Amino acid sequence: MAFRDRDRKDYNAGIMYVGIGGFFAGFATNYPMGSAVRMGPAYFPTILGAMLVMLGMILVFRSFFMHGGEPPTKTHWRPLLGILGAVLLFAFFIDRAGLIISSLLTMAFCSLGGWDFKWKEQVVNSVIMTAACVGIFYYGLGLPFRLFPWS
Amino acid sequence: MDFSALFANLTLGFTVALSFQNLIYCFIGVLLGTLIGVLPGIGPVATIAMLLPITFNLPPTPALIMLAGIYYGASYGGSTTAILVNLPGESSSVVTCIDGYQMGKQGRAGPALAIAAMGSFFAGTVGTLLIALFGPPLAELAFAFGAAEYFSMMVLGLISAVVLASGSLIKAIGMILVGLLGGIVGTDVNSGIARYSFGVSELSDGIGFVSVAMGMFGFGEIIANLGQTSLTRHVEVSKVHSLMPSKDDVRMSIGPIVRGTAIGTVFGILPGAHTVIAAFSSYTLEKKLAKDPTRFGKGAIEGVAGPESANNAAAQTCFIPLLTLGIPTGAVMALMVGAMTIQGIAPGPQVMTQKPDLFWGMIASMWLGNGMLVILNLPLIGMWVQFLKIPYRLMFPGICLFICIGAFSINNASFDVYMAVIFGFFGYYASKWGCEAAPLILGFVLGPLMEENLRRAMLISRGDPSVFFTRPISLGMLLVSFALLAMIVLPQFRKKREILAEAED
Repeated sequence: MAFRDRDRKDYNAGIMYVGIGGFFAGFATNYPMGSAVRMGPAYFPTILGAMLVMLGMILVFRSFFMHGGEPPTKTHWRPLLGILGAVLLFAFFIDRAGLIISSLLTMAFCSLGGWDFKWKEQVVNSVIMTAACVGIFYYGLGLPFRLFPWS
Repeated sequence: MDFSALFANLTLGFTVALSFQNLIYCFIGVLLGTLIGVLPGIGPVATIAMLLPITFNLPPTPALIMLAGIYYGASYGGSTTAILVNLPGESSSVVTCIDGYQMGKQGRAGPALAIAAMGSFFAGTVGTLLIALFGPPLAELAFAFGAAEYFSMMVLGLISAVVLASGSLIKAIGMILVGLLGGIVGTDVNSGIARYSFGVSELSDGIGFVSVAMGMFGFGEIIANLGQTSLTRHVEVSKVHSLMPSKDDVRMSIGPIVRGTAIGTVFGILPGAHTVIAAFSSYTLEKKLAKDPTRFGKGAIEGVAGPESANNAAAQTCFIPLLTLGIPTGAVMALMVGAMTIQGIAPGPQVMTQKPDLFWGMIASMWLGNGMLVILNLPLIGMWVQFLKIPYRLMFPGICLFICIGAFSINNASFDVYMAVIFGFFGYYASKWGCEAAPLILGFVLGPLMEENLRRAMLISRGDPSVFFTRPISLGMLLVSFALLAMIVLPQFRKKREILAEAED
């Protein structure tokens, strides 16, 4: 059946475009449209959003007739969650606990996202990199970070 | 051509560039750029985005000098990686991998690196001279541009960026549209309405392009790299015995270097053309011209000399549209626009007249930086080799941390880091589905500019859209855009794009 061997990459990308375009064009109705002479804030995003929806629909439509395309590669959850989780930790702790603690946490969590994790070397790595970052960014460049939770 | 003016300008440029402070920043930029560029799996865009915050506290001239240095340092570092470990540090060194790595395996990594450095330096010199020669007249031309011309030029820039690149055209245009839409998030200059901000005060200032670049190019790339196995396994680094190329090497390389430079300069100026195509075209040309084409792929020095010169020439001349017209032609140049904006400079023809010391200083420093690359890289090869031996599993957490700190320090706000996470997630899936990040960044930077010029053009023409077709320059640019789109239908051109796409994977 056509639906099953549709080109998954095109299909997914198309759905994504329809979603993003539809969102921008749809939400633009909250803003004044203006006229072609005096374009309101909604004018440009409405046009672009509509174009994006059209492109997305072409992709979706076409995907049913494109057979034999390679399916998208599987999601690698471990690196995805490891990296993005580590970054979230950084964003959360940088204001609350300062540069040193958030750097250590980020390094530690990040390294869990990679393969062949050996915790001893990653601990050493985390400490070295944290020290390097504090040295470069805090002392070297003088960026206004808090170092410790209490500073 | 007014040579005395050119001479005066270059003198001004060198006075600025040779000041102690600027020399130091140029050097730091080149060194850092090469350092990160050598690391496999992190391209120039991520490198620049990552190092951008370092330049925030600097005055505009040293900041831009340093950024330019980072850029060609990163490009050069990519070639080193290509030759030594057969992993392209960036997409434009894909071609260098073919023969460069073979030379490395035959114990001739040294000459390959030396020839690459010489070719790059020659190309860089020519490129810099061309910027100095063609910058002023092009800027003159740009002063005559009205809103309609600017709008059409941006259309042309965006269209050619996707047509000349590889991959699906529809998806790339889609990514441009997503970028344009993302770019206009924030307060609308005309009405003061905060668009798509949902009451989040940070969003009313717009989404920071650094967050987007860091998320999609930085995090997105690292996650994708960790998903593959090629980077995580132990890499074999070719040994470098002697750097000196033989007389034959030099003799055989001169032709390819000159031809590669010529090809590269042309592709660099074209809006949207990438260094990758320049390198590929040069490789193909050299293979055709060679007496014995079978040597290619087995360590032919021409296959290193030509493409390396071509990609460096293109990397240099792609500054021309940026500095004279204010139009970025690729993801890297889009980042430069952002960096200039942060420094309070609106890119465009007025930079040259209002800030001649910045403009000419930057150009002179490009040449100096290229010279530094040669001096720096050849003796430091041993250090890069050691660097390449560090396993990726130890490298990527540090890179991530750097990006986090970079994203945070733009506004000292964790909001930018959260945005980078969102774009990292988006970029990871988008690239799985064949949607690339580069067109998005380009659209993102051009979004507000396009809207502004569209509005202005339509206001002046009293709402008559034919203004884009009745003004000759604007019409010309739109016609070229259509022609480029039409080229996609040609079977020959299609095939070339497909080959390019395969080679990039």
